[in-house]
Amino acid sequence: MLKSRGFLIFSYSLLGLLSIMMIVPLINVIATSFSTGLGSMQPGVIFWPDKFTFEAYEVLWRRLEYWRPLMNTIFVTSVGSIIHVFLSAIGGYVLAQSSLPGKKLIAIIILLTLTIPSQIIMVPLFVVFKQFHLLNTLTSLIVAELVSGFSILLMKTYFERIPIELKESAKIDGANTWMIFLKIYVPLTFPGLATVLLFDVVRKYNMFIEPLIFINDPLKMTLQVALKSIVLNDQVTSTNDIITPNVVSAGIVLALAPLILFYPAIQRYFITGIYSGAVKE
Amino acid sequence: MSIFSKQFRDHWQLYAFIFPILLYFVIFVFYPLAQGIWMSFQKMGLLGPMGFIGQENYRIVFTDPTVIQSTISTIVIAANITIFGFALPILPAIAIHEITRITWKRLFQTIIYMPYLFSWVIIIGIWMNLLSPIGLVNSILVSIGLLDIPISFFSSPNFARTLLVAQTVWKDLGFNAVIYLAAIVSINPELYEAAEIDGASVFHKIRYIILPHIYPAMQIVFLITLVGSLRTFDSSYLMTNGLTADKITTLAMLIYERGLLEFDLGVASAAGVLLLAISILFALTASKIVGYK
Repeated sequence: MLKSRGFLIFSYSLLGLLSIMMIVPLINVIATSFSTGLGSMQPGVIFWPDKFTFEAYEVLWRRLEYWRPLMNTIFVTSVGSIIHVFLSAIGGYVLAQSSLPGKKLIAIIILLTLTIPSQIIMVPLFVVFKQFHLLNTLTSLIVAELVSGFSILLMKTYFERIPIELKESAKIDGANTWMIFLKIYVPLTFPGLATVLLFDVVRKYNMFIEPLIFINDPLKMTLQVALKSIVLNDQVTSTNDIITPNVVSAGIVLALAPLILFYPAIQRYFITGIYSGAVKE
Repeated sequence: MSIFSKQFRDHWQLYAFIFPILLYFVIFVFYPLAQGIWMSFQKMGLLGPMGFIGQENYRIVFTDPTVIQSTISTIVIAANITIFGFALPILPAIAIHEITRITWKRLFQTIIYMPYLFSWVIIIGIWMNLLSPIGLVNSILVSIGLLDIPISFFSSPNFARTLLVAQTVWKDLGFNAVIYLAAIVSINPELYEAAEIDGASVFHKIRYIILPHIYPAMQIVFLITLVGSLRTFDSSYLMTNGLTADKITTLAMLIYERGLLEFDLGVASAAGVLLLAISILFALTASKIVGYK
């Protein structure tokens, strides 16, 4: 604590200003989304809809069939994240073993994957996904980040905090590796699993480059790509309507809604996850 | 031999656990990487590789003006994102720590962290709405007389890079502030008391207590931001149009255009290898400079 009245006032002003910078664009979008099409095309400061209406949401839902990409994204996110957490936990468990011959080599391989981002290998990745006949499937999006080095290493730090005596005594009682993992390690690392899960839910929900590359079937389009078409006004929809700003805003608000819903949980585990990672450094 | 087989018998279950994961990485990370390097030396046709052509793809990469332009854009954008993205969250982190009222502390933290969770499509959508010719910013600027006619920020080459950098910094500010905050929280309060007895000012306390203490966190934020910003794709993809392409087409975006829209797989793969080389070079140099082990 700096214990200075001047600095305290400065702190409130700085954070207040920053918060306004974060909140004002959001309020602007929400207000625009509930305006009429005509109202949203008028110049001016919109902090409140001109006439409160769900017009934009109806266009979005009925004519642009926004529910379809939303369902696709929910499917990919829920199935994909659960598999991701499971595999990351297994990987982290193996790396957390104190004496495993070859562990160092395994760790190096996993660390190396962190240095190779999908942005750099997207062209050959496209070729490989084609070879596996995964193009234009929602499965491709689950496969794209089935497990990650980042999540494995995060789980490893959680598993390493479990005292080794627990494992030794379970072994004496005749438990095998699988039972020890499932009955001792998994229940004791619930915060770690929740952190990895939420990180991956947000990542998969926001996934952009993979659906852009792997999917061009409109029926399998995901939320972010559908929203992109609306925001950038691509003429991919069969309707001839001009997409007015209120519809664009409604698309943004609907895409934000699930994140806001998850936010309390995210704040609890995400931020403490970052803390524990940072403190360990 | 017998030691080896005994080791294996003791641990075979663990090996069986990790094997599918390693196999996954081999198929979907290392194999594509190897194939990318291989393709960069091939003449690639639409139906597949058409033979080894040596450095021809690389010669094109190093002489083609659009590739050179996007390499420059990538480096300029990454440098700006890294400098601002690393320095700006320090003061807000100190400010959050100063505030003792838990409600306000939580509220500020929550609001500032929020944009980090938003996808780039949402970020661009929000800002386009805000900065459109009929949007909030233009309306205010015109009504107070600062502007005669509204500016279309998103189609102006003069604003393209600034906007891209500003939005990235805005998005990541809360996340980086939390990393700094975690380091600030762990400072021993006695240090401040000792400094007070010596008559240290607020500036001195920040300069000689807080900054040295959070130096490891600063190293991490610097490196994460640098490595991440060199891969800039989403924002570049969403903001690029005919007018701004020269300013904000990054290497990752160029790889996408060349490889997946024009199917020039050979040159795109060579550009991918170039980006990988730049990333590794910058990351290694930066970790040397900041002294990160």
